[in-house]
Amino acid sequence: MRLMVVDDSNMIRTRISRVVQNGGVAGISLVGLARNGAEAVRIARATRPEVVTMDLTMPEMDGVQCVAELIRMLPEVHILVVSALSDKSTAIAALKLGARGFVSKPFTDDELKLALLNLMEAH
Amino acid sequence: MDALTEVELKQFVDSVRRYFSVITKQDPQITSAFLGTRDVQGHEFNGLVSFSGSYNGHVMVSMPAPMLRELLLMQHETDLSDPHLLDAVGEIANTLAGNARKTLGAGLEISVPVTLQGAAGIQARVRQRPYVITLRWNHQPALVFVDMERRR
Repeated sequence: MRLMVVDDSNMIRTRISRVVQNGGVAGISLVGLARNGAEAVRIARATRPEVVTMDLTMPEMDGVQCVAELIRMLPEVHILVVSALSDKSTAIAALKLGARGFVSKPFTDDELKLALLNLMEAH
Repeated sequence: MDALTEVELKQFVDSVRRYFSVITKQDPQITSAFLGTRDVQGHEFNGLVSFSGSYNGHVMVSMPAPMLRELLLMQHETDLSDPHLLDAVGEIANTLAGNARKTLGAGLEISVPVTLQGAAGIQARVRQRPYVITLRWNHQPALVFVDMERRR
């Protein structure tokens, strides 16, 4: 499955990429890294990802707008929100928008892998 | 404007502990927590997130280069250049700020992080009486400034 990682932090983009690319999640290949929601939409048009990890607090287009836009473009896309906004209402709001899962920062590699595997199984 | 309560301030101390415990599996030592003044001495790399909505102010994370390099190396990052160290400290500030919503509520709006290189950058941003958390991790010192109040 094609994965795009969306986060304004290079440290997080690198970390999620590493977890996925070191065979941590079988059956997934990285097709894009985006620094904000606007870049994510541009990359998604070209690469048509099936799974997306999405930060919420970003410049240029935040994660909430980006989730809505990606689901409009790619109705079958599975979005995993990866955010420091760890209050329940944010998680619920993200799921209502169409995200399929939520991982709170800070996260362990195992937490991320499990969340991605769950997302892929549901796809 | 109302000052933060002890419970609200403790949440930041707990978030700092949790960040290091989760990311590094090595608890930090919280060496002190006190009400500081504007004459604060920060470290070289600083990340700041501003608050709005139900709260006003900001949280700042101030760390030296060796600590940030070690944090990045533990996450298998190989680029240890200054821009990446700034990115890392910004992301840590973002994490602490975002985690604050769990206790302070969804009315807490957070900004994208701003990063500053140079200890002088902190002094320019600190207002009158920040709450200062000092910590040590892997023999390196760091500071977290919680400079905020609740809107009435």
